[in-house]
Amino acid sequence: MFRRGLFSRAFCQIVAISFLALTSSLLAQKAVPAGVNADLPAGPMQAKATTACLECHEARIILQQRLSKGAWTKEVDKMTKWGAVVDPADRDALIEYLSANFGPEKPPYQPQKTAARMR
Amino acid sequence: MNRISMNSRRAFLKQISGAAMVAGMAPSILTWARAQEQVIPFPNEDGMILRSFRFIDLESPVEYFNSFLTPVPRFFVRNHMHEPSELDAAAWRLEVGGEVEKPLTLSLAELSKLGTHSVINTLECAGNGRSLQRPQVPGIQWGKGAVGTARFSGPRLGDVLQRAGVKPTGKHVMFRGRDEVPGKVPPFIRSIPIEKALDGDTLIATHMNGSPLTKHHGFPARALVPGWIGAASCKWLTEIKVLDAEFVGNFMSPGYRFPNHPVNPGDAVKPEETHPLTALTVKSMISGPSDGASLKARQIAVHGTAWAGEADIAKVEISTDGGIHWNAAKLGHEQAHYAWRLWSYEWKPVKAGDYTIQSRATDSSGRVQPSTAVWNPSGYLYNAIDEVKVHVS
Repeated sequence: MFRRGLFSRAFCQIVAISFLALTSSLLAQKAVPAGVNADLPAGPMQAKATTACLECHEARIILQQRLSKGAWTKEVDKMTKWGAVVDPADRDALIEYLSANFGPEKPPYQPQKTAARMR
Repeated sequence: MNRISMNSRRAFLKQISGAAMVAGMAPSILTWARAQEQVIPFPNEDGMILRSFRFIDLESPVEYFNSFLTPVPRFFVRNHMHEPSELDAAAWRLEVGGEVEKPLTLSLAELSKLGTHSVINTLECAGNGRSLQRPQVPGIQWGKGAVGTARFSGPRLGDVLQRAGVKPTGKHVMFRGRDEVPGKVPPFIRSIPIEKALDGDTLIATHMNGSPLTKHHGFPARALVPGWIGAASCKWLTEIKVLDAEFVGNFMSPGYRFPNHPVNPGDAVKPEETHPLTALTVKSMISGPSDGASLKARQIAVHGTAWAGEADIAKVEISTDGGIHWNAAKLGHEQAHYAWRLWSYEWKPVKAGDYTIQSRATDSSGRVQPSTAVWNPSGYLYNAIDEVKVHVS
């Protein structure tokens, strides 16, 4: 079924990488089960976007969008009106960060699933 | 399904072979491994697509759409805000006021004495299929599965309103739920016209598929406005107010409105050139075979569902040649006025190759599922002819 040697080696590496990633994310997220929290992508605005946006909703709502800069501008302004704390000096950089990471040309977002229970 | 997962496994092995196992590939492999291995624990939800954890938005995979009634753990969940942190059935009260002769406050026990009526309803989020709109629009990026069918039961809204006595000035009925609003987000309040509110099939539902509503579906009571967009059926209902005009608020305008006339994709639409969304449109969906499936059978069962809001499904047709020829699918025997029809079609491909299977529904009012959905800035009512691509060997 598999080319065993290659698969085993690859599998071990995946397990090792996954273990490291899971361990570090678990440490970062404390008691939250692995995978429940999602992060915004790295970048100069990551911390400020996290504070401004993730106070009210989680990162997946952003990660799944594929919008033009014009559409991101409308979203940022709407959310600021609705209580997102965005320093006016950071508005343009935030729009730039969201447009650069979640533009229409990006590959589709791959969602996770909840655990299955009826089989 | 097995064949598909085998294919992805083969593709994966190909991906990691040889030069691919360089350091640069590690993140994509990691992503793959994590996506395969990590499912999110979620009590009472069964293998649902996680669109958002906070607020909770869950979508049914299309392969679930093979039963007339959708089991509650497989029924999509749509929230605009936080679910109520406390739900105490004993303390719950429903206020009925506004343009009525006698305002009421009802406990759950008092509500249950007002009789029980059941409606089998296909509930669909207005934004179902939003991710398929081009250009893409903001909002939860639903695939095809923000829809489900359940038997909803509870007293008729009309009986409650009759008890309160609607004044002649009462033209619209507003619902407020107990969603917990973050920041300065406007509360989720919407209204429906009095005619729909007084319709004998519009309910204050307390049960779903014979059991009390679960928290995600609006325990202990929700509005159930059959045939209409899901947003009309307010969850965790605590206030009903009869108004002399349509409610004014974010979720009536600019939310949940549709352009009066077709617009060019990507164009802005003036608010005065829109109308509130009400009933669902005509639509069919293929639940099997799965998109991307590799099939060997000489006879292939194509199946799915079709619904049309307040109208009935008249026919569902299938094409396997790019829409040149359409063949009638067989409609399932189970039917109810506001519910979808299951359908099936036995397809006998004459030769091997790559095929696109398409499904197209027509309803009792003559509406036909279009080849391209009407684009609109919020991606509502996506209903283009459905299709899946398969390989027959």
